[in-house]
Amino acid sequence: MAPESSSKKRKAITRDSPEADEVALSDGSADEFGEALHNGFESHRDEENDEEDADDSEDELEDGSDEEALIASDEELNSDEVPSEDEKGIFNGSLEQDGASESENEETFGRPTRQYEVVKDANGNDRYVYNEVDTGYASDDSDAPVTTNTVGNIDVEKFYGAYPHIGYDINGKKIARPAKGEALDALLDSIDIPKGWTGLTDPATGKPLEISQEELEVLRRIQMNEVPEEGYDPYPATIEYFTRKTEQMPLSAAPEPKRRFVPSKHETKRVMKIVRAIREGRIMPYKPPSEEDEEDTSVKRYDIWANEAPRPDHPMNIPAPKLPPPGYEESYHPPPEYLPDQNEKRAWEDADDEDKDKDFLPTNHESLRKVPGYERFVKEKFERCLDLYLAPRVRRSKLNIDPESLLPKLPSPEDLRPFPTTTATIFRGHEGRVRSLAVSPSGTWLVSGGDDGTVQIWELVTGRQIWSAKLSKDEAVNVVRWRPGTDATVLSAAAGEHLYLIAPPISDPETEAHSRTIIDAGFGYAATKTSNGSSATTTKPTKDPPTPWTRPTPRLLEAGVLATFPLLRTIKSLSWHRRGDYLATVSPAAQSRAVAIHTLSKHLTQHPFRRLRGTGGLPQSAHFHPTKPIFFVATQRTIRSYDLAKQELLQIIQPGSRWIAGFDVHPAAGNNLIVGGYDRRLLWHDLELSTRPYKTLRYHNKAIRAVRFHRASGQVPLFVDASDDGTVQVFHGKVVDDAMENASIVPLKVLRGHGVRDGLGVLDVDWHPREPWCVSAGADGTCRLWM
Amino acid sequence: MAGNAASPEDKPASQVRISLSTKQPDVSLAQNPGPILVNTNFRRYALSTLVNTLREAEKPTPFEFLINGTFLRTSLEEYLNATGISAETLLAVEYVKAIIPPLYVASYEHDDWVSSIDVISASSAESNSTSATPITPGQERILSGSYDGLLRMWNMSSQVLATSPSSSGGGHTAPVKAVKVADPSLVVSSSLDRTIRVWRYTEDSAEYSASLQPKIELYGHKASIDSLAVHRPSNRILSASADHSVGLWSTRKSDAPQAPPSLIPSLSSQGAKRRKVGPATSTPQRGALALMKSHNAPVSDTMFAPNDSTVAYSTSWDHTLKTWDLTSSTCVDTRSTSHPLFSLTALSSLNLLAAGTSARHITLIDPRASATTVSAMTLRGHMNAVVSLATDPQSSYGLVSASHDGTCRVWDVRSSRSDKEGRVGDSTYVIERESTKGQARKAAGEGTKVFGVCWDADVGIVSAGEDKRVQINQGKGIVGDQKAQ
Repeated sequence: MAPESSSKKRKAITRDSPEADEVALSDGSADEFGEALHNGFESHRDEENDEEDADDSEDELEDGSDEEALIASDEELNSDEVPSEDEKGIFNGSLEQDGASESENEETFGRPTRQYEVVKDANGNDRYVYNEVDTGYASDDSDAPVTTNTVGNIDVEKFYGAYPHIGYDINGKKIARPAKGEALDALLDSIDIPKGWTGLTDPATGKPLEISQEELEVLRRIQMNEVPEEGYDPYPATIEYFTRKTEQMPLSAAPEPKRRFVPSKHETKRVMKIVRAIREGRIMPYKPPSEEDEEDTSVKRYDIWANEAPRPDHPMNIPAPKLPPPGYEESYHPPPEYLPDQNEKRAWEDADDEDKDKDFLPTNHESLRKVPGYERFVKEKFERCLDLYLAPRVRRSKLNIDPESLLPKLPSPEDLRPFPTTTATIFRGHEGRVRSLAVSPSGTWLVSGGDDGTVQIWELVTGRQIWSAKLSKDEAVNVVRWRPGTDATVLSAAAGEHLYLIAPPISDPETEAHSRTIIDAGFGYAATKTSNGSSATTTKPTKDPPTPWTRPTPRLLEAGVLATFPLLRTIKSLSWHRRGDYLATVSPAAQSRAVAIHTLSKHLTQHPFRRLRGTGGLPQSAHFHPTKPIFFVATQRTIRSYDLAKQELLQIIQPGSRWIAGFDVHPAAGNNLIVGGYDRRLLWHDLELSTRPYKTLRYHNKAIRAVRFHRASGQVPLFVDASDDGTVQVFHGKVVDDAMENASIVPLKVLRGHGVRDGLGVLDVDWHPREPWCVSAGADGTCRLWM
Repeated sequence: MAGNAASPEDKPASQVRISLSTKQPDVSLAQNPGPILVNTNFRRYALSTLVNTLREAEKPTPFEFLINGTFLRTSLEEYLNATGISAETLLAVEYVKAIIPPLYVASYEHDDWVSSIDVISASSAESNSTSATPITPGQERILSGSYDGLLRMWNMSSQVLATSPSSSGGGHTAPVKAVKVADPSLVVSSSLDRTIRVWRYTEDSAEYSASLQPKIELYGHKASIDSLAVHRPSNRILSASADHSVGLWSTRKSDAPQAPPSLIPSLSSQGAKRRKVGPATSTPQRGALALMKSHNAPVSDTMFAPNDSTVAYSTSWDHTLKTWDLTSSTCVDTRSTSHPLFSLTALSSLNLLAAGTSARHITLIDPRASATTVSAMTLRGHMNAVVSLATDPQSSYGLVSASHDGTCRVWDVRSSRSDKEGRVGDSTYVIERESTKGQARKAAGEGTKVFGVCWDADVGIVSAGEDKRVQINQGKGIVGDQKAQ
């Protein structure tokens, strides 16, 4: 049955075979043959129908499979025997049996059911001539040239010119020579040129070669360098297989969607196993409580606040620490004024836990339903338990005093008026720094001395320069001081190593004469001592003192400088005794002669300290006590007070400053000192309290250059310091007679205005003798009056 | 009423009833109009127009309006809102002639700082009634004293008519600190050289040349004489000196005693010998009638009492204002303030003295014995010591002050407000120095300090200062002309 089945199969597949072939085979006529050939040629050309054909063949295949099943059932029905002689009969019978189905096929396809013909061969035997088998995939091998004539590439006319056929087709059939028309036909043909006429003869078939419209089109496209296939779009619309959006990361971090999850059956099984085990009690989900955890009934526990009833306040009764009642801001929907804004929120979040004033952030929720879980719940309850657990059982009375409240209240600067606040006058005229300045005891003149070697006298309020004298060409005037007392106007100035005594011509003739007498008295004293008789003014310097007082140059004498006195080294400090007869100078570099006390009336100079031994550096400045015969000498680190009457050391004051710049003695209460240091400290000493400073004031950024009490400190309790940072600072410093009360010191005002030159700011300050006005000398070449 | 007709009635602005009155008889209304209903959006200008309409004067005068002692600076409505006064009440409004903004007129340049200033004009001569020839307008003279020791007499076209002789010719040997005109032919000056000099001023008829001849030198003070006051009818001079004394002097040689010989430079000290002593001048040297010492600090300013030439006032750095009886040369009263006083002037009709202080303000002091408080009022605004004061010649409430901050300020004592420190006034106008116009103001008025100021009815406000100039500011008629258009 195998051939049968194969035949059936073949039948099923070859439905496609053109009827023309069949006809051609049956007829065998040349015409039919040629037509079949033509058809085959055509079918080869019909490439545009390929798709259609493919569809058809699919349908047919499906039908075929039906047929297969049918045949299979036939197989089961029929025995598996070898076909006998009456095989045909059986075959026929089966054919007849299958007639219905075949007729069905016939109906479906409209094609002859027989695939073969029975012809008689030469021996008279039946010979089955099978129909053409159409492979069904003819369209597939479109690449291979369809050779209808199998004789090969030979000269047909040469070899077959004598025969009525021109070759053989694939089945071995003769391909008849196409009939050649008569001349008339050719003429007619030439007149009525069919479509696709080329005038050529296909050598393979001998027929006129005609080219169809489609082929012409193909040829044209080839000629035009186009793609031959019709309808081919070289520029199809781009299909975006990927998004044109540029992704930051090539890989997506999107979580795996749930729809991709495939529940594991294995895991389900294992879970179910555990569930079953738990249900049956084979597994205990929690540990059974151990013995330790069990309640120890031997320890009795008390809740001391279990039955708490409100009781009156009593030391033995300690009520439970209460939680504060919740406020508005603890509401889940607080009023908007309780809600923090962005800044508050950020501040709260940035703050440390200890610094937060409340341990939650008021948050607004639309409804109670939307309030999330409270994450601090456990912590809060724990803290509450701690509160209760650690609540004190004993009431302890604690001193609850703010240490600040124990300090005495400093009065406001407003209440301490008047004090200098603004610049009233600027004195310009010095070239270079102004080193020192002083207001005259009358309060109307200001004297200043500077790097340009001049001493200048100014009208204090208007700032008008009245008098000027150049003491030295190349040395700076380091100190200028007025002699105390209003009976005479005597000015002392130190330029370099020289001390000058000046009676400036600014006062009335009487006073001026008196001033001159005061200065010149010493000449007279010296004269009477040595060469008696000669007049005071013409006395030559005596030999007796090692460093004599002399008259200056006539130019200076004309200006009013009456006496000069050379010391060994540069004089840095100058201080008058209140009576105006003694003058102390300090020239730090002069070793044992650093400190000198001059007696004006006798023109006598003493060096009271043979050696300043172990006194903490070079001497810096010296002052007389305002009321008692006490003399203060400041060295770099200490201040010593000496009793002038008994000639002994009284006290060593240790301000703790590394380098004392200057100091001043309180004019009313001589037991108070202010000390300014180059280490930026201003120190107040109360000598009755200690040798250590009573108060340290650090307000300056740079070294302090000078400090000064107001001369009338009884009425105007002010003092001032000058610093290299260009500021002058005014302080209130009131000293009371009551020994129980300490001095009150209040910083009042920073006076700014002086410029800083080469790191130097304000070099000296002084007060007006009565008014709360101070004057300052600046390294910027100006003096300023502050009112 | 005319005022109502002028006011815009179309606006539904609220109205207030006011009653107009004045204390100045020359601008009073012919008949009392009674209460007038005015819009509350009226400002000073509208009210001024209203008053001028009511006065029916041919030339309108600018007025200021005082309500409850303060000047109206806003609209009536804002004033009522600010003070909380109901618009229903009758508002008593006093109108006064406005102080016209003093505009810059001219500057007279000097060689040195100008310390003081005085004016000879018809109105200033009126007060010193001895002058024989009345001064016609345009013949005003300005006398300035400078730090170069010279006095200069200027005419109104900024020409120096006369300069005092230098120190060698009998002039001051030190900066002049104060000048005063006694009458058009007599000038007094004081100086840092501790002298007061009386000068005879003569002018030829052609007005092209004039001369200042020393008449008397007065010796007695031992320090700079910072201020002078002259009473021509009694020929008395008052001086304030830094030697803590107030001097009383006579302008006549015959009245004055001999000068103390010790104070005359050429006779006294040895030092003076070396100084250049001028040729023996024939100027008579006289002493003081009295030197009154009671102050214990430099005396800054002095003046005769406005109505009584036997009473003098003086201010000092010792914070006090003293009243002196000149007949007995004793101090009769002392008023202590809390600051050094630098200058003094009198508001005679108010019985007040204005004193400029070092603490940058002006204190009004009632010198009468009955006064209970020392300081009646404080005028604040200056930024440095107030060193000179002058009163408005046309108003008994006006005042001009000169300060070291480089400005002059014009005040009206009626314009005041209450503060925690009592009544405080603010300046009406500020006169800057023309020399530094447009520049940034320097600290402490450096270079522009004003040392002296004088207010004359004809010339205007004349001020002198550190910028070596005399500056004239005048407000007369400028605004009035604009209003008339």
